[in-house]
Amino acid sequence: MEVLSQVEIAFWPALADSKKADLEAMPKGYIDAALINGAIRTQENLEMVRLLREKSKLIVAYGACAHLGGIPSLANLYGREELLKAAFGDGWRPGPPPGAPQEDAPPELLPKALPLAQAVPVDYTVPGCPPPAGLIGEFFSAFLSGEMPPPGHVFAKVKALCEECPRTREERVLKKIVRPHEIVPDPEACLLDQGIICLGPVTRGGCSAACPSAGMPCTGCLGPTPKAGDMGLSMVSALASLVRAGEEGEAAIPSENEILDQLVDPIGTLYKYGVPDMPCAKEGEG
Amino acid sequence: MYPEGITHHPSPITRSRIGVFVCHCGHNIAGTVDVERVAEELSRYPGVVYSTHYEYMCSDPGQELVKRAIKEHRLTGVVVAACSPSMHEATFRTAAEEAGLNPFLVEIANVREHCSWVHPRSPETTAKAIRIARAVVEKVKGNHPLEPVRVGHAEKCLVIGGGIAGIQAALDVAEAGYEVLLVERSPTIGGHMAQLSETFPTLDCSQCILTPKMVEVARHERIRLLTYSEVEEVSGFVGNYHVRIRKKPTYVDPDKCNLCGECEKVCPVRVPNEFDRGLSQRAAIYIPFPQAVPSSYTLDEEACLGLEPLRCSECARVCEVGAIDYDMQEEIIEEDVGAIILATGYELYPVENMAEYGAGRVPDVIDSLTFERLLSASGPTGGEVRRPSDGKVPKEVVFIQCSGSRDPELHKPYCSKICCMYTAKHALLYRHLVPDGKAYVFYIDIRAGGKDYEEFVARAMEEERVLYLRGKVAKVFREGDKVMVWGVDTLTGKRVEIAADLVVLAQAIVPSPGVRTLAQVLHTSCLDEHGFLKEAHPKLRPLETLTGGVFIAGAAQGPKDIPEAVAQASGAAAKAVALLSSPAIVHSPEVAQVDEELCSGCGVCAPQCPYSAITVEEVAEVNEVLCEGCGTCVAACPSGAMSLRNLADEQVEAMVQAVLEEVAGG
Repeated sequence: MEVLSQVEIAFWPALADSKKADLEAMPKGYIDAALINGAIRTQENLEMVRLLREKSKLIVAYGACAHLGGIPSLANLYGREELLKAAFGDGWRPGPPPGAPQEDAPPELLPKALPLAQAVPVDYTVPGCPPPAGLIGEFFSAFLSGEMPPPGHVFAKVKALCEECPRTREERVLKKIVRPHEIVPDPEACLLDQGIICLGPVTRGGCSAACPSAGMPCTGCLGPTPKAGDMGLSMVSALASLVRAGEEGEAAIPSENEILDQLVDPIGTLYKYGVPDMPCAKEGEG
Repeated sequence: MYPEGITHHPSPITRSRIGVFVCHCGHNIAGTVDVERVAEELSRYPGVVYSTHYEYMCSDPGQELVKRAIKEHRLTGVVVAACSPSMHEATFRTAAEEAGLNPFLVEIANVREHCSWVHPRSPETTAKAIRIARAVVEKVKGNHPLEPVRVGHAEKCLVIGGGIAGIQAALDVAEAGYEVLLVERSPTIGGHMAQLSETFPTLDCSQCILTPKMVEVARHERIRLLTYSEVEEVSGFVGNYHVRIRKKPTYVDPDKCNLCGECEKVCPVRVPNEFDRGLSQRAAIYIPFPQAVPSSYTLDEEACLGLEPLRCSECARVCEVGAIDYDMQEEIIEEDVGAIILATGYELYPVENMAEYGAGRVPDVIDSLTFERLLSASGPTGGEVRRPSDGKVPKEVVFIQCSGSRDPELHKPYCSKICCMYTAKHALLYRHLVPDGKAYVFYIDIRAGGKDYEEFVARAMEEERVLYLRGKVAKVFREGDKVMVWGVDTLTGKRVEIAADLVVLAQAIVPSPGVRTLAQVLHTSCLDEHGFLKEAHPKLRPLETLTGGVFIAGAAQGPKDIPEAVAQASGAAAKAVALLSSPAIVHSPEVAQVDEELCSGCGVCAPQCPYSAITVEEVAEVNEVLCEGCGTCVAACPSGAMSLRNLADEQVEAMVQAVLEEVAGG
């Protein structure tokens, strides 16, 4: 699709020489649509998106970080001081370089990484890490034709990924949990049936199940389906339903718990992009 | 006349107009819970426009109160704070329907079993009742009017088991005008009753009263008889079962066979005859007994010298009518049936299990059915009592009751119920046939509850001078040509030692072994701890299983005599006919439903369903008749596509909120 010929780039710091001052000079609502990617991590990010909100008719959260918080938001599991210490070692304090004025100090880190919608009102979302070409196309054809769906729309399917997954399911039973590198998965069979935690059942479709088709489990980058609620909890509930060890009944519970305990790094697996959506992450810092 | 209700204007937040009716249940609720306060608190709850309490809400005036309030206050929902919904939900839903309110907008708040019965009288208990009622108000706010699910059904009945219970059930259903499929695993119908000599307490000849019914089955235009057949697969649900039956080849065309018996004479094989409990021999090609139905010979593939490759073929050579067909194949019969009656009958607990009584190794220690064959005019001895070891007429016979029954340590803990009566009959018939013989009966106590039963036992004791010894037999063993019986007469406290010629063990009644496989085929846990079929309710639903449309008849449910089995069979037939004659199967609509827009067909739900109600193709599909609304699939569904009608997540959340909300003074 030819996009560039139909739009004028108003502001694109990564590609064009655009400065904050240029943006400030624009009248309110000057920009038709601002596509914003990345989580809101610093005070500067926050100022920029607030400014963009003011200058733009539409704000589009573009990509998993803007949509859900993304991988950077896994840092929300730790406090700000802990993070700085881990990154820069002991004794480092954020501030301007020696002898430089205060305004040269690096931007202040926010207590948590935020999805865009927690910083400014978002009109549309193009999800994904990265957004699949098809979904980008869907957004632009809607935008350029002037036939946009109702605000709040996420440019992905409402059905879960399994719908478009080419793999086949046989016996829907979880007998073990393995990490992707531990086995060579059967090329045809459902990964979840083979013990690989695939988030396909809770994740929106729209990517043609790219990862499962290539032998890797879905990690949930398109975000939860509209009624999945808390993605990780829904998946935990499904896993707990699927797990089977020997005969049914209470006697099997200890060995079933053992199977569930085989899940290494539950938060990193079940909330890879969505830590800010975790129920416990919604309150307080860290 | 009626207590004054507290009327309020509808809540501005919601358009719900809910009525709350708090029941005293005499002292059951009001004795512990301040019902007046519950009604008053609820009258202030958002959405509630009318709230009252009454002594017995389930009584006619109580129901009238609900109906009147529905009309006068234009209620959109009703909450009855009373006993468990399993008691009176139907009562109030019907009442509401009569008043023009959809019955599914009526819910019960269980403040009896969940509250008043389990707590002392205190403000906390009242507060809990208030919380429960509030939560149910929240549920009703989210309820939608529903219509019951109605589906059609097949108008045919499957009866499994061709003993007297199965025969009676089949005849009754067929007489009511419905097609019947009667499946029996052996080559003839008749069951154990065909093996009996006479029946207690009237001493009717068993075969004489049974065979007319067998003939009726054979001739009935609406009964399709499948002997030598087993039910292999049952799928579907109440009213709509699909069954698959495997009919083994008999290698004899029943339409051609004229029972001349030439084949039997030339057959070189002899194996123990099951019908005579091994007392006689039969050929590989045989008819269990002359009046067998269907009236035809059967070639026992196991006993035959060889069909493939053909080794003998003597029988075919002499068969004048050419009835024998070695190429006969097994047949698979598939049918749709609306109801299933299980009448799989019983077996005797094996004598081999009775180590104390010789473990089946003493030839003159036999079980009661074997003795029936010795007594029977059609039996191997032509009705003369001759013992198996040497064919002598036994002059002293010991009958041991409760052999394997009422013995929780070693054998079966339960009473086999019919042994007292048939042992009295055995002893009495023996005395008729051997007037100079002596009969002893060891018993624990005599259980002769039944019409003319006690008199019958008295007759054996007094007129036939059968010696009843109260006590257990410790040991039975062979000594020379005698069978020694060591026991104790607990009435005199003396040891008893009898050198008997024959010992008859009244073995415990156990379920027929096939019933276990059948339970698996039916996907139901319908067996009790002893392997008998379990009824849905021991008192009020004795003929039903928990699986809809599957009924029970005869000794498969527990030890039973003939009149009881026959009565139960007629009862089960009536249940089946009630189902078959109903215009439609009606099922609660409060079941799981799939949002097809959301379902990705991931298939997590299907294996969770305990009723096998879910199938997944492109999307999941719930069979509304099979679904019992347990909600297991809803919890498992990762994408929120599955929900329960009138119990949506939003409703549950609102209910939880309502429960947690403070109660003033609570």
